[in-house]
Amino acid sequence: MTLTREQAPPVVRKPVGERRRRHDGLATTLMVAPATVLYVVMLIVPVGLALYLSLTDWDGFSADPAFVGAANYVTLLDDPDLRRAALVTLLVAAAGTAGLNLLGLGFALLVNGASRANTFFRIVLFYPHVLSALVVGFLWSAILGTSGAVNNLVTTWGGAVIPFLSDPAWATVTMIAVLVWAGFGVNVVLYLAGLQAVPHSLVEAARIDGATRWQVFRNVTLPALGPSVTVNIVLSLVTLLKTYDLVVSLTAGGPAGQTQTVAYLILWNSFHDARLGFGSAQSVLLMLVTAALAFVVTKLRRRGELAVHQ
Amino acid sequence: MTRKTFLWATAAFMLIPLYVLTVNAFKGQQDILANPFGLSGLSLEPLGRALTNPNFNVFKGYAITLLFVVAVNVLSVGLAAPAAYVIARSPKRRFRVLMLFFLAGTFIPGQVLVIPVVYVLKTLGLMGTIRGFVLFETTLTLPFSIFLYAGYIATVPAVLDQAAAVDGAGRLRTFWQIVFPLMRPAVATMVILNTFSVWNDFVNPQIILGPGSGLYTVTTGVYAAVSQYSTDYTVVFPTLLLAIAPLLIFFVFMQRHIISGLTAGATKG
Repeated sequence: MTLTREQAPPVVRKPVGERRRRHDGLATTLMVAPATVLYVVMLIVPVGLALYLSLTDWDGFSADPAFVGAANYVTLLDDPDLRRAALVTLLVAAAGTAGLNLLGLGFALLVNGASRANTFFRIVLFYPHVLSALVVGFLWSAILGTSGAVNNLVTTWGGAVIPFLSDPAWATVTMIAVLVWAGFGVNVVLYLAGLQAVPHSLVEAARIDGATRWQVFRNVTLPALGPSVTVNIVLSLVTLLKTYDLVVSLTAGGPAGQTQTVAYLILWNSFHDARLGFGSAQSVLLMLVTAALAFVVTKLRRRGELAVHQ
Repeated sequence: MTRKTFLWATAAFMLIPLYVLTVNAFKGQQDILANPFGLSGLSLEPLGRALTNPNFNVFKGYAITLLFVVAVNVLSVGLAAPAAYVIARSPKRRFRVLMLFFLAGTFIPGQVLVIPVVYVLKTLGLMGTIRGFVLFETTLTLPFSIFLYAGYIATVPAVLDQAAAVDGAGRLRTFWQIVFPLMRPAVATMVILNTFSVWNDFVNPQIILGPGSGLYTVTTGVYAAVSQYSTDYTVVFPTLLLAIAPLLIFFVFMQRHIISGLTAGATKG
């Protein structure tokens, strides 16, 4: 394994070896170059462009947008729409992360272990993740809308319409609930993988020592799951901070723009209002906030994990 | 409440939306409004009308989406697998740097890319074209594919390569004929992941292909068909059912592989 072809001394058939090596050099380039070129053109260049465009007034059509310096960033700092959207986004991310992880871990504990019933439950908890967020949103809006299935039933029974999607506070809560409904199956599967790494002997020992189920969970299982919890929290947070498709289909940002998320606002500003420079500034900000939050959570969790082990 | 009862109740709650969707896809507006959970007044007529909806030709949507799924998968595997092979097998410093360079891409959120990619595609004359969309979607799959493939190739013994070289195979042949066939599990994971992300993508096809191009995927087609008529349930339910049916059937048959594939993808950050 350590002796690669390049290191082997080409004593006997030098000319052939040289030709082979040059041929292999060409082959190597052929294997690496296409992926690298595409990656640079379609991913690295755009990231640089996003920074540049955020300093311009690009409208999506003109060939050379005017440079406006930090104007877009100044504007967005006291943009009431962005402030409201940022609040909604943080609320969705925080409450959603809590919901996804509590349900994810809770159900992972309930469906742990190999049995046909557990396999069935895992599939049923997971399946919404297979559907596009757009379809999930349209489906739930048909169920919870003012003339939707649930409200039809409620009014038939003589009740008042429940404003699931027509009242700003209700709509935000509904959106979080649907996000959790559609996503926690993934967390269940991730926590199940983490649970396989919990040493069985430790759990057994604690049981023999007379620990209750809760004590075993609190003092053995949960500390052993530490890294799993960190991964799950960061993943949920990063995913929820860019919530877009579901807003489009469930509430369309309404009522009165009250459930617009930052990602929704970015695309609205960019492609509805043709302010792509301004949208770029917002997306750069969203990227920085997401990276910072992921970093802080990872750091805090690591400190917590170290404290547990001491 | 016992554990089993609680789990069955949860399962019911998870499946009710699917039940409502399926049942109401076969009912008229009156029956849906009067009795959304019941089974009265079932007919095939709403489904038939959804199939011939002038705003959204479902079969065209399936065909275009399937074309995208196949093109992105073929291109992604064709580009990422050989690159990952070189990176995994070469001890040279520059390929280790290249790995980190690709890895950086897994941390870049798609939201940041949408706007500048419009600029790039316009410059290249690819905006609103199938080629432009497929190239961009393929690019999005590259970082994680290369990461996953390189990790997998590292577990394939290098003696195999050496044996092939001794037998006179060049580098390309060694990879495609000896190593690539052994990568099947990793490739299957990526294909599942890419299939779902391309099929369910909404933002990128909506913006890159645009409403003017006449090209729509299942997802953007559903948006066009449903968002304007969101209270005409005889349009909403059958259209949504047609949009998710292929994926759900695929999921039911391949659930074990799909769950592990999508979960691997969820951890890519």
